[in-house]
Amino acid sequence: MITKEIIDQIEGEASIYFDMQDGKVDFADIVFPHFRGMENILQGKNALDALLITPRVCGICGHSHLMAAVRAIEDAYGNSGQIVKLTQKAHNIRELTLTLEIIQNHFKWIYMVLIPKLNSLNNNALQETPLKGAYAASLATKAMSVLSGQWPHSSYMVPGGVTCDPTYIEIMQAKASIEKLIAFFERESLNISLKDFLRFESCKELNELFSDISKIEEQLIMLNMHQKGFSYDTFIVLGEHAFSKKAKIKMTRVTGVDVNHVSTEEPFILNERSYAENALYKNIFHETGPMARLMSKNIKFIKNMHRRYKDSAYTRVMARIYETGYLLEHALNLVSSIDVTQKSIIPLNGIDKVTARGIGVVEAPRGPLIHKIVLQDGIIENYKIITPTQWNISSGPRSKLSPAQKAMSGLSKKEAEFIFRTFDVCSVCTTH
Amino acid sequence: MHSNQEAKPQLLWLQGVTCNGNTHSFINLETLPQLLEKFEILYHPILPSTKNLHEIVSLKNSCDILIFEGAYDPVLKRGDTLIKDVIVHYAKEADYIIAAGTCASFGGIFKQSAPQRNSGLVFNENITQGPLMAYKEKIINLSGCPIHPEWLSTILNMILSGYSIPLDSLLRPQELYSSLAHHGCSRNEYFEWKVDAKGFGLKEGCLYYEQGCRAPMTHASCNKILWNGVSSKTRVGTPCFGCTEPEFPRNDNYVTKTNMSIPQDVPLDIPKRAYLSVAGMAKTFHIKRLEGKLIDYKRDN
Repeated sequence: MITKEIIDQIEGEASIYFDMQDGKVDFADIVFPHFRGMENILQGKNALDALLITPRVCGICGHSHLMAAVRAIEDAYGNSGQIVKLTQKAHNIRELTLTLEIIQNHFKWIYMVLIPKLNSLNNNALQETPLKGAYAASLATKAMSVLSGQWPHSSYMVPGGVTCDPTYIEIMQAKASIEKLIAFFERESLNISLKDFLRFESCKELNELFSDISKIEEQLIMLNMHQKGFSYDTFIVLGEHAFSKKAKIKMTRVTGVDVNHVSTEEPFILNERSYAENALYKNIFHETGPMARLMSKNIKFIKNMHRRYKDSAYTRVMARIYETGYLLEHALNLVSSIDVTQKSIIPLNGIDKVTARGIGVVEAPRGPLIHKIVLQDGIIENYKIITPTQWNISSGPRSKLSPAQKAMSGLSKKEAEFIFRTFDVCSVCTTH
Repeated sequence: MHSNQEAKPQLLWLQGVTCNGNTHSFINLETLPQLLEKFEILYHPILPSTKNLHEIVSLKNSCDILIFEGAYDPVLKRGDTLIKDVIVHYAKEADYIIAAGTCASFGGIFKQSAPQRNSGLVFNENITQGPLMAYKEKIINLSGCPIHPEWLSTILNMILSGYSIPLDSLLRPQELYSSLAHHGCSRNEYFEWKVDAKGFGLKEGCLYYEQGCRAPMTHASCNKILWNGVSSKTRVGTPCFGCTEPEFPRNDNYVTKTNMSIPQDVPLDIPKRAYLSVAGMAKTFHIKRLEGKLIDYKRDN
């Protein structure tokens, strides 16, 4: 029997049509029903207007869109003969604000999605403190805003660099917010110092913490999430940052990737119209996100977890939690490395001199985000966006299940809904 | 005796065609826990709520304050129910209807998703033809892309305190929208003496003359009540895009439109002639301090 479940609190809505056999998910197709048409909106506009429009694809990861857009435009500059090379300062500032956006996302997910949804599976075993997530996220966005002016919806990255020109006042303000957030994470989430947490090599070490994080881990084990929610054990990372390495990872085998092999196709939907396209690499589905990134960087804690529990829901969730700490340390290093005496921007020719294609790739909170632009005299002829949720939550037929469809197979509906959310779904990005 | 929970005004947050930016902007509010304590949140896209989406769209409840985020699209459904029916149901009983952000106020970015169909709640850009025209008396437009969390908190607290909220002709609170984004800009001295920024990425210079800044023409208090408590677009060298106004988003946002090298739009309500006379005069002076770098980091090196 097919039943429809509407899933909300995923940055919008999705509908899952579950085909149940003997109380277990036999098949599920996934619909994202809300059309927005960002790519059409961009057509005919000045390329620089993409820096204003594309952050508005998404309220929670608009900064990632801004960075993908500016990289796409810079790539087009390069393809038209003017190679763009950022100063170290501009590069570090961009990386810092991107990192902080991922951090705010993860805090919200842990406290506003994960804990309440674990509770719905396990009789409210955990204390729900969603405002802890909101507070932590606001410290991250405060640190960003010192450099980006505001969050959400900043447009401070421009071809050649950034618009800001911070003094040490701003650098110290940003640093103080990051330090405050680290102290909060240590006190409220970990019950151990960040440094010690990042030294962990095995999930067993979590057992002695008596903290939010150790309790989440305990619940995941109690719910057998280490034996559920397996996908293909095939990951992809396309954005190159200090916290991620471009790679395709099949089990533990790491190989190189070329973004030109990424393609999209219409979703397989039986009952309703969906506005999300499937994303594939060499015509194969791959999982994206924190687990993929940490595997690409060979992080011991996650590698050991993966060796033991493979790509289960447990590893997927714990990777996002671990990455929060990993990125906090990275953010602190970045903010300390900004040299205010360098230039914020390298001047370029006018955008009207650019007739070329460009592609911009970044790691957004949920995985690779790709923007492709076609420019004629600086005007957008075509714009294409491929978002991380399109990879994880594609909707394929029975013969070709997406990572999320595969991970939900064989489970009860309630468990399947939880597994769906372990991918940290972003509906608005998917239906850009 | 009623419990505290029952006595609190009921607040409902619904969404049209949106990016969730207003939702996430609101979550940044420094005093969020204190503000939430004052309401019963019936439904919010991410905050803890007393009802679920299914209960909300079954239209058996009412609310005191309806907050709507996103552009209105008559064919959009939430929870399998036309949002058109949902907002009219709740609008009837609500004491206040708040359009959160520019999409809900005027159509904004997502008017462009379906230009013939989408609009704000009362306005389609600046024309009164939205679906809640009949409830105009209850509407407060809090435009901005996204909404500023402190502005929303200010208005919610004013409602709770029983203060009257004078509005401008676009139904925006004068409290927040009588000043311009220009007020409090840290580059004001450059504006006064007509010293242009020499490009992006500089703390020195005014962004109005070349970089497209619309702060002198934009009703907003971005430089008075800072974003995320610390900054604003102009403070980080990004031009104001006029995101609180019905015309947002405009085209060619990073460049000032000029006629014979004179800005096409002069500061709000200033006669062009008066502006040009003063500007012309100011430009004839050379003020050394405003022409150099503010801080010379390399001086001691």
